[in-house]
Amino acid sequence: MNLAWKEVKKNKLRFLILGSIIFLISLLTFIISGLANGLSQDNAALVKDLPDGQFYMNADADETYNLSRIDRHIQEKLLTSQKDVAALSIQMGFLNDKNDKQQSVAFVTSTESKMFENVKPGEIILDRSMEDKGIKAGDILTNNQFSGEFMVKGFVDQKKFSHAPVAFIHIENYKEMYRVGEMQLIFVPGQDKAQEADGLQSFSKKEFLDTIPSYNAEQMSLNMIVWFLVVISGMLFAIFFYMMNVQKIALYGILKAIGLKTSALFKMMWTQMLFITGIALGLSAALIQGFNMFAPEEIPFRLTIETISLLSMVFFIIGFIGATLSGVQIKKIEPLQAIQQGEV
Amino acid sequence: MEFFTVNELKKAFTNGEVKEEILKGINLSLKKGEMTALVGASGSGKSTLLTIAAGLQPASDGQILFEGKNINTMNQEQIRKIRASKFGFVFQFAHLVPFLTVEEQLMLMLDVSESRLNKHEQKSEVNRILKLVGMDHRKTAYPSSLSGGEKQRVAFARAIIHQPMVLFADEPTASLDSKRSKEIMSLIRDLTKNLNITTLMVTHDEEMLPYTDRIIKMSDGLILQNFEPQAKS
Ligand SMILES: Nc1ncnc2c1ncn2[C@@H]1O[C@H](COP(=O)(O)OP(=O)(O)O)[C@@H](O)[C@H]1O
Ligand SMILES: [Mg+2]
Repeated sequence: MNLAWKEVKKNKLRFLILGSIIFLISLLTFIISGLANGLSQDNAALVKDLPDGQFYMNADADETYNLSRIDRHIQEKLLTSQKDVAALSIQMGFLNDKNDKQQSVAFVTSTESKMFENVKPGEIILDRSMEDKGIKAGDILTNNQFSGEFMVKGFVDQKKFSHAPVAFIHIENYKEMYRVGEMQLIFVPGQDKAQEADGLQSFSKKEFLDTIPSYNAEQMSLNMIVWFLVVISGMLFAIFFYMMNVQKIALYGILKAIGLKTSALFKMMWTQMLFITGIALGLSAALIQGFNMFAPEEIPFRLTIETISLLSMVFFIIGFIGATLSGVQIKKIEPLQAIQQGEV
Repeated sequence: MEFFTVNELKKAFTNGEVKEEILKGINLSLKKGEMTALVGASGSGKSTLLTIAAGLQPASDGQILFEGKNINTMNQEQIRKIRASKFGFVFQFAHLVPFLTVEEQLMLMLDVSESRLNKHEQKSEVNRILKLVGMDHRKTAYPSSLSGGEKQRVAFARAIIHQPMVLFADEPTASLDSKRSKEIMSLIRDLTKNLNITTLMVTHDEEMLPYTDRIIKMSDGLILQNFEPQAKS
């Protein structure tokens, strides 16, 4: 007889409450995790979305890309050493639109490469978020360090750096604006181990992200929040399952007295736990997916199916452990206890 | 035939430092199909004796021989199997499973006792027993909607549905008024006689004693008297 299901059916309210708690807690965790991820994306999508590889900057640049100037000969050597290698530079700056309103952007320029947008001199490609600021293709933008004008050629998705939209410009324009001949960085895709190069220091993608001011601190706090949430939710799950079990000690005692196996009681508890947790997680995952799709652009929110599945798995495991730990009392319950306690 | 024998049964509880001997060497035997009543003052150890005999708690010393085997030396699983298939229980309160209907309570018991009947036969057996205890009209009711007497009828039905060899009953009518008590008592007596179930019952109910085959009077952890009711009255 399916006792687990019979109990859920009869005590709908109790299980509904338990389910709602799991639903709300997991939803909260999904939301926070989505925001953390979104912020990190907002901070550095330009770098995060690159294929795996190695960044190089000057060894004496003090791990600050801004201070790096890569020697032209070394750059040539690296660029020709392998296919798809690109040299790039990044500078935070401003663009003035036709109403003379300043927009903060991250200027990025690179050598010919499929990984970055390449434009002709006088042209500019912007992150799509600039569209929301009223900028359209064909608009003319200016910069007070630049003698000419930029014509907006188009927009690209998800190119952000240090929370600013990226603006791809031509190397010559970049050189004029920032009065430097050398590039700051070289990116070699597909390399998981750095090659030795004179006077250069290598960084994996993650290591490079950590050199971006504020990225490291921001991510650490956000990740800590997410994992604390997960741990606290796990403890909450365990406590709730524990309380449910305590309420049912008399019942378990009776079932044991008439001869039910302890394993049957565990099965009953596990079935209920999996059922409730499954529905609650399913609902909150569906809801968060919906939110993900319809969330307003201004909210940096990004939650991949992988993250949802990972978090759900963690919740399942924690819930299972919680239920099982609290179920250890079931093993200890003496049938007699219940009988002597009087009416259930 | 004596198929259930208790030899020199002792039970002691330790309350902190103090060790208290509740049963001080009990000897008794139950005859197949007979109903034995355990009587005695409150606190004399009747419930302790009954629950130990029923395999619901261990004894400190002595033997409980059921079908030639000593329950007191069996492991938990062996005792559980005997409880599930060979014993039935009724207590002061019905202890029904709150989320099962009357019918389901009995189906569960058939399940637990690993009944060899198929689903269809189980259903008709449940119907038959519910008719016998006069509860077939409340088959789909949940315990919360039953009166005390009705619950006790269902508890009794659950105790005998799997055709146990021994029924253990601890003051099954203590929570009922005198009219309901008499009804339940004669029900238990008639049915256990009909089904040839051996019964050990703790009771306060003087009126029930004439119906029993044997009366064992306990006092302070020992058996004071062991007699047949006719011989006394
Ligand atoms: N689990 C226990 N722990 C300690 N003392 C107990 C326990 N169970 C019963 N007793 C004691 O054993 C004595 C006999 O109890 P019981 O068998 O319930 O008596 P009766 O059923 O005859 O009224 C009582 O004094 C009671 O306090
Ligand atoms: Mg008692």
